[in-house]
Amino acid sequence: MPDGSFSHPQQRSFNPYTENGGTILAIAGADFTVIAGDTRQSEGYSIQTRYAPKVFRLTDRAVLAVNGFAADGNMFVKKVKQRLEWYRHAHAKDMPLRAIARLIQTMLYAQRFFPYYVYNILGGIEEDGTGAVYSFDPVGSYEREACRAAGAAQSLVQPFLDNQIYFKNQQAAPGQSHPLHLPLSDVLSIVIDSFTSATERHIEVGDGLEMYVVLAKGRSAQGLEGGRGVQELTTRTDGDRVFVIRRELKKD
Amino acid sequence: MNSLVSRFSTTGPIAELRKAKEVLGDDDEFSDAVWGSEAGFGSLANGVPKFSIPQVPDPSAFLRLHTDDHSDPSCRIKIKHGTTTLAFRFQGGVIVAVDSRASAGSYVASGTVKKVIEINPYLLGTMAGGAADCQYWETYLGIQCRLHELRNRERISVAAASKYLSNLVYSYKGMGLSMGTMICGWDKTGPAVFYVDSDGTRLKGDLFSVGSGSTFAYGVLDQGYRWDLTDEEAQELGRRSIYAAGHRDAYSGNTINLYHVKEDGWKFIGNYDVSKMHYEGPNGVGYGYDIRTEGRSSANPPATQ
Amino acid sequence: MTSFYSGPGFDFSNTVRNNFLQDRGLPLPKATSTGTTIVGCIYKDGVVLGADTRATEGPIVADKNCEKIHYITESIRCCGAGTAADTEFTTALISSNMEMHALSTGRKPRVVTAMTMLKQMLFRYQGHVGAALVLGGVDVTGPHLFTIAPHGSTDKLPYVTMGSGSLAAMAVFEAGWKPDMTREEALELVVAAISAGIFNDLGSGSNVDACVITANKTEMLRNFVRPNERVTKERSYGFRRGTTAWKKEQIRSLIVSEEVVKHGEAMDVS
Repeated sequence: MPDGSFSHPQQRSFNPYTENGGTILAIAGADFTVIAGDTRQSEGYSIQTRYAPKVFRLTDRAVLAVNGFAADGNMFVKKVKQRLEWYRHAHAKDMPLRAIARLIQTMLYAQRFFPYYVYNILGGIEEDGTGAVYSFDPVGSYEREACRAAGAAQSLVQPFLDNQIYFKNQQAAPGQSHPLHLPLSDVLSIVIDSFTSATERHIEVGDGLEMYVVLAKGRSAQGLEGGRGVQELTTRTDGDRVFVIRRELKKD
Repeated sequence: MNSLVSRFSTTGPIAELRKAKEVLGDDDEFSDAVWGSEAGFGSLANGVPKFSIPQVPDPSAFLRLHTDDHSDPSCRIKIKHGTTTLAFRFQGGVIVAVDSRASAGSYVASGTVKKVIEINPYLLGTMAGGAADCQYWETYLGIQCRLHELRNRERISVAAASKYLSNLVYSYKGMGLSMGTMICGWDKTGPAVFYVDSDGTRLKGDLFSVGSGSTFAYGVLDQGYRWDLTDEEAQELGRRSIYAAGHRDAYSGNTINLYHVKEDGWKFIGNYDVSKMHYEGPNGVGYGYDIRTEGRSSANPPATQ
Repeated sequence: MTSFYSGPGFDFSNTVRNNFLQDRGLPLPKATSTGTTIVGCIYKDGVVLGADTRATEGPIVADKNCEKIHYITESIRCCGAGTAADTEFTTALISSNMEMHALSTGRKPRVVTAMTMLKQMLFRYQGHVGAALVLGGVDVTGPHLFTIAPHGSTDKLPYVTMGSGSLAAMAVFEAGWKPDMTREEALELVVAAISAGIFNDLGSGSNVDACVITANKTEMLRNFVRPNERVTKERSYGFRRGTTAWKKEQIRSLIVSEEVVKHGEAMDVS
């Protein structure tokens, strides 16, 4: 135990990381992607704030969710946005999704020996108009997937998603097969239920829910426009469109 | 073109400016490269990238404190571990087979990992150890292999490519990189497999398996391996070996990815579910279920003799 | 020759082994802990006790509606925080002993008696029994309120809080407590204190339990306030019959059919 005296050797360790709780998830559809996160930020048994966004719009077709150590996460999002801005100035267009994914890998790996303590999930629309989700580990290994949960309640939500999205451990009815992609309304219901359930059983999840919906160019926004708590973040309706849906979660 | 020449030349005003910047330590965190199309990997064309290091007396001890989940299961940053990969050389080329599980402690972090990294149409690398280390450095190796082609007007040999990687990771020895990889391909000498790991080991050989499930894979591989295997036999051996590891090793499993490298480059053979292989096998005959249950109870008598 | 004698108290024979396993990176199983908000408050006619209803295992909610106000005697109750099993068994044991004491003395037992029994027991176990308690009740000498820490130290105060939400709850008490409150005022204050714990402490949650003890009546107000009702899910998750894959099917009749044959003369039962 360090006591401030010099009579015996002492060691202190550099500990710049904390865990700020919360959970994020993303699900890709055929021509849309939903990226969601709760808004509670906590440390230990204390709530630091009930509204700290973990999901960020990067471009009209890319949304990034960041979970883990909030300070690292916010700084990382800031730097990604900066790099995307530079790209816009150089090329007069937005960076494509798969390129953003690779950019995030190199930015995370640049910190290989002093990692950002963040788990990233990138969601959006690819150049071919399909919904896509990329998930990352803290030092930049990444993979394209159809759905992914990360954060405090990852181990509660991911098995549920495996069962409902990938139909794991579910035998299809005789002569039928499971659908490859679910419709948007089903995906939104599954996302909401994931978070209300995680809120009930995980103490670090709750307060608010933000769901970003990215729609591919030309896809109808039926059922989204004018819905409860829905806000559109894109100004043009002739390209890919980003919406955000906000919901309350339990606050205990 | 002129700007390209001046950027890489060692004389001239731009080079002088660059040298001056280096001397003054004036180089910003981001070079000019990030402004243009080189954003992302482009900056790597200028040599090995710089990494930020924590300002502590022993940076690798710092990294170990926060990332090593073998000595401390409660450490915050979990790097994915646990794998079975194999590659072998035979008369018909190289077979590369891997599982697809990534685990963080006892949690299966992913069941769909691509552990074969397609470096270029003639080279494959496998992933064991740190997923990010393998993905990043083998992609980086791909860039260097392409530059080799442009400079020398011929494809890089598997030996040279693997040595490039080996030398690179050796320069980071002790810093905490974790890789166990096989660089596989076909060059002027024919099919080739090299084992390279983050300790700096580089071995040429006919047959390797790497990862926590490698002992199980070797068991099947060694008893079935011959140089004159047919293509079909070799592919079946690779698949059957990874199945064995997926079945017995808790840190391996989910699915099998199978590749075959021939003279005209690699070909992806297929993705196979390990539990489907257990019950049904690749063509209706299960690898494991029937032989484990037949005749074990009166309710399940052995098939007709 | 191994000894078959087992002394009183805890068995420490596995501690060396468990420490070794812990050093090797094998974590010990986690006990359910009631990372809790519990409070007590004295008012004009008696005592009000309060508790939240969340039980946790690490960051996971183990029980969304558990009961943390334990019975000691008819007019003495005890709120428990800390290791769930320890609070449960400690209060149950003291409750038994209090009943025995009442029977042997022929008097209604006092709150100090329960407090002394609890602190002596907890001190003897040197903190290994992880119970942090709020003990309240009314006896022949009037209303009393105590806290008992896991090592056995006690406090006697007009308003007390314990558990991970104790700071949030105490803030409410410090702002709102005054002497000689009415039953309604005291109950309202206790609900506010527990609510502060429920909403601001992650270890506490769900509902407010309260218990009002006066000289001649004890009211256990289970789930007095329910501010965190479960929301209805967007979808129903029933599975189609035949969802689970199977390798073989075998149907056996569990009905035993038996033919009863009459044999010999029927017994004369007249």
